[in-house]
Amino acid sequence: MNDPYKILGITPDASDDDVKKAYRKLAKKYHPDRYQNSPLADEASEKMKEINGAYDTIMNMRRGTGSYGRSSYTYSSGGSSSAAGRYSEIRILINNGRFDEAEQRLAEIPPSERNAEWYYLMAVISYHNGWLEEAYNYASTACRLDPDDVEYNSFFSRITKQRAGSYRTYPGTSSSGCCEFLTCMLCSDCFCNICCRR
Amino acid sequence: MFGYLQPFKDELRMKDHQLYKSVYCGLCKSMKKEYGILSSLTLNYDCTVLAMLYMSLRNEGCHVHIGRCTVNPLKKCMLCSTEGEALRFSGAVSVIMGYHKLMDTMKDSGIFKRTAAAFARLFLRHSYKKAVRAYEKIDALTAEMMDAQAAAEESDAGIDRCADPTAKLISKLCMGFSPHESSAHILEVFGYYVGRWIYIMDAADDLEKDIKHKSFNPFRKYYSGNIKETMAYCNEVLNMTASQIVLSYELLETGAYKAVLDNIIYYGLSYQQRKYTEERYLPKKKDKDYYTLLDDV
Repeated sequence: MNDPYKILGITPDASDDDVKKAYRKLAKKYHPDRYQNSPLADEASEKMKEINGAYDTIMNMRRGTGSYGRSSYTYSSGGSSSAAGRYSEIRILINNGRFDEAEQRLAEIPPSERNAEWYYLMAVISYHNGWLEEAYNYASTACRLDPDDVEYNSFFSRITKQRAGSYRTYPGTSSSGCCEFLTCMLCSDCFCNICCRR
Repeated sequence: MFGYLQPFKDELRMKDHQLYKSVYCGLCKSMKKEYGILSSLTLNYDCTVLAMLYMSLRNEGCHVHIGRCTVNPLKKCMLCSTEGEALRFSGAVSVIMGYHKLMDTMKDSGIFKRTAAAFARLFLRHSYKKAVRAYEKIDALTAEMMDAQAAAEESDAGIDRCADPTAKLISKLCMGFSPHESSAHILEVFGYYVGRWIYIMDAADDLEKDIKHKSFNPFRKYYSGNIKETMAYCNEVLNMTASQIVLSYELLETGAYKAVLDNIIYYGLSYQQRKYTEERYLPKKKDKDYYTLLDDV
């Protein structure tokens, strides 16, 4: 098995707090919610398992074999709870990764019978195939037809955040150029005071 | 000197910037050596990134030495060693795609441009043949992409379908980079979104020109008199694609050039987007605006 410290990106002399911090950072990065409906959901969940395993191993080594309780970020199998009627079979196809068949089945449903769920499932398939604009349009229609559905809304709000540029948060830094600029100005101001003093 | 995938230099350390430049210049040198001096004309930033990605996935950086620039022999520069598959492969990609682009220009442009393209094609022919001999598959994939592209544009398709051919091409190229089976699928997805992003950037870049000349552009449908609004929309589409690039990039195991690649993905993408979609339509940049620009990247 791989070195658990290496997986978390730390050295064996890191403190417990550092281990936790590193774990939290990675767990956020590879959280299944981020990769929901993504074509890489499986790979991300593998990675998450690896990180969980590494954290467990380190904590077990450090505290004997007693329990320590990894509080957050347990893997939840984000699934569809509301599977009603004709769409339940299509959802099964999607869950099994048979997207083409699912799309075909959806296309067979006449336009007059298409409801919010139809648009949502089309959005999921388009998103998986990388046709992001269609995914966005379908998801927004699904939300308009059924504004109260939690599943549709959470998907749509994730897409909306992506479109607003949420990816720009660089992991590990939270520096703001403006603050740095201001600090610079303040510092130079101080130096000015020193120089100009008589 | 073209291409959209570039690092944001202000956030790049000096040594990483030099590494990046050494790959760029090394690729130029390698193209000259493998495919003839004129092939260097097709050199671009996107292929430089492909070369870096290839080396990074195998965690093999290359030797850097100081040599003379291919184009300007009076200038000395850092050069990445020209041995190795990474530079040979991305050099071939650059030549083959450049050649196909010229053929495309010859088909649907004004008389002046067409003649220029015909001449350039003539000069590039030798390099192209050499590259095809070494990498037949790239040529077949690019030809396929060009056909699909033409078909999509003819049917006045939406953005997704128009971007699909380029996306699939880069996807297939990236898939070949995978050092082991497990990362092939991640690279396939990563390449798809990178290709999509490049296509959309190109479309956004050309939009103003295409509106003027009434030529095809997937964003023309969204234009209703105000270019800034259309650009804001382009930016949204790009943002969503970039989010997917980030998601897939984070699953890749990169070694050498990691700092440069990180910079390109986390800063470069959004910086380039701003440069092409927003900044260009702002009134002339004043010095103090520079800080607000840094702030947002």
